[in-house]
Amino acid sequence: MLEPSLYLEAMASAAIISAACVLAINALRRPASTTWLNLASIPGIGLGLVTGYHMLAWRWTLPPVNGLDRFLMIVVPATLVIELIAGFPAVPRWLAWLLRMSLASMMPRILLHGSVHLSGNNGTPWQAVAVMVIAALLLVILWSLLAHLSQRSRGVPIVLALYLATQCAGLTIMMAGYIKGGAAACPLAAILVAAALWTWLAGSGRFATAPSISPAVLGIGIVGLFGLLLIGIFFGRISIVSGLVMLLAPLLCWITQISWLRHRQAWVVGSIGLLLVALPLLIVLLKAKHDFDRDMAPLLGKGKASVLQH
Amino acid sequence: MRRLFLIGIGTLIIGTVVGMGSTSAQAADEYEYDQVHSSVSFKARHLDISWIHGRFNDVSGKFSLDREQPSKSTFELTINVDSVDTANEARDEHLRQPDYFDTKQFPTIEFKSTRTKAIEGGYKVTGDFTMHGTTKTITIVLKGGKEHDFKKAKRVAFSTELTLKRSDFGFDESAIGPIGDESLIMIDCEGVRR
Repeated sequence: MLEPSLYLEAMASAAIISAACVLAINALRRPASTTWLNLASIPGIGLGLVTGYHMLAWRWTLPPVNGLDRFLMIVVPATLVIELIAGFPAVPRWLAWLLRMSLASMMPRILLHGSVHLSGNNGTPWQAVAVMVIAALLLVILWSLLAHLSQRSRGVPIVLALYLATQCAGLTIMMAGYIKGGAAACPLAAILVAAALWTWLAGSGRFATAPSISPAVLGIGIVGLFGLLLIGIFFGRISIVSGLVMLLAPLLCWITQISWLRHRQAWVVGSIGLLLVALPLLIVLLKAKHDFDRDMAPLLGKGKASVLQH
Repeated sequence: MRRLFLIGIGTLIIGTVVGMGSTSAQAADEYEYDQVHSSVSFKARHLDISWIHGRFNDVSGKFSLDREQPSKSTFELTINVDSVDTANEARDEHLRQPDYFDTKQFPTIEFKSTRTKAIEGGYKVTGDFTMHGTTKTITIVLKGGKEHDFKKAKRVAFSTELTLKRSDFGFDESAIGPIGDESLIMIDCEGVRR
């Protein structure tokens, strides 16, 4: 059942706990450094997610039996562990990226494990391999490009772009009929809002002085978005086109790097970037709403024909 | 002479045992689930005031019936969950999604007998029932078993009803709101001898 107030409560709790945790840890060390902020963000993200899913009364099953369980119980913790390792200055950059790429290449296999997509019932084994390779490549490309962008431009807008895409993914999955899958996006999206807040505060409340987005936040944001969309496409009912639009929309922030735009005031550049990201997402949402009104609303008793209710 | 007698007796005993074995094997008839004359349907409560009816259109199975030693009889049934049909395509599509059956992850519902006992008017069959990735041992009472020869093919039919709780099979409890937890499943199965 759709429970909007519960989703809002879960998001607010996750964001508040997460931001409070990161800011508290960050305050322990003065002057704060980007490395310290990155390391502090990992327990903050973890605690925020646990709080958010607890508020949603999430039912954890061991061993994880479906794609969403495997995502939340294997992939998300693995991402945090990798970002924790990668966050230490002693760890070379190539090793950090090797770990990230390993996760990216395994993620489709983990999420689709045991499903008809890999059992050969839904095409040949070669098709299954091709799907996993393409999906992994997309994740690697997205991760690399956004990581590169985060080093060129300052903080908050990229996190907010990922937030918009994650929130849009959650709503779209939910409106396509996979309510629990959509609800899973709430704590993930909330963490990104919290991350934008703590990044902004770390820059003394100014966009221009905000530090670069923490690699841990970027990692969890990208992996979270990719995981939700993969589950939405392969287990839910969202189309590949909608999924791709939502996955690639944050890359539109790159447009703000053209020379006549990038040297303007930080808040102007950030706002334009977010607007560019929001436009395709809005189109996807409108399409999802249209399909929802046609297919799902009657089942939930919102149509004119009560006989169609679930 | 005595040796010859012992060999003769031994041959007789072995022959009898082998013969009995083959008689027993022949006594078990193998039947194929006849999709045309069988049905697996269900009904579940809606808002605790009415019933939603549905059926699975793609079912396969087989059973082996040993009239002389009923405990050797076996029953197997496989339901393709994607074939769920509640006479509303949007609702069927929703039922296939992970909030309900999660057919991409759990494409089939299966029953495989482990113990069979003859009872008055049928069989009491215990077996492993797998739905939504969870396997539980259940016991069903198969009523019927009458035979009929139709166009040189022997047919046998059984019927059973069972009540299952979706929450026992790992269905998401938050999706158990408007549709009741308990579902009544009705199986009418006609088998054609192979």
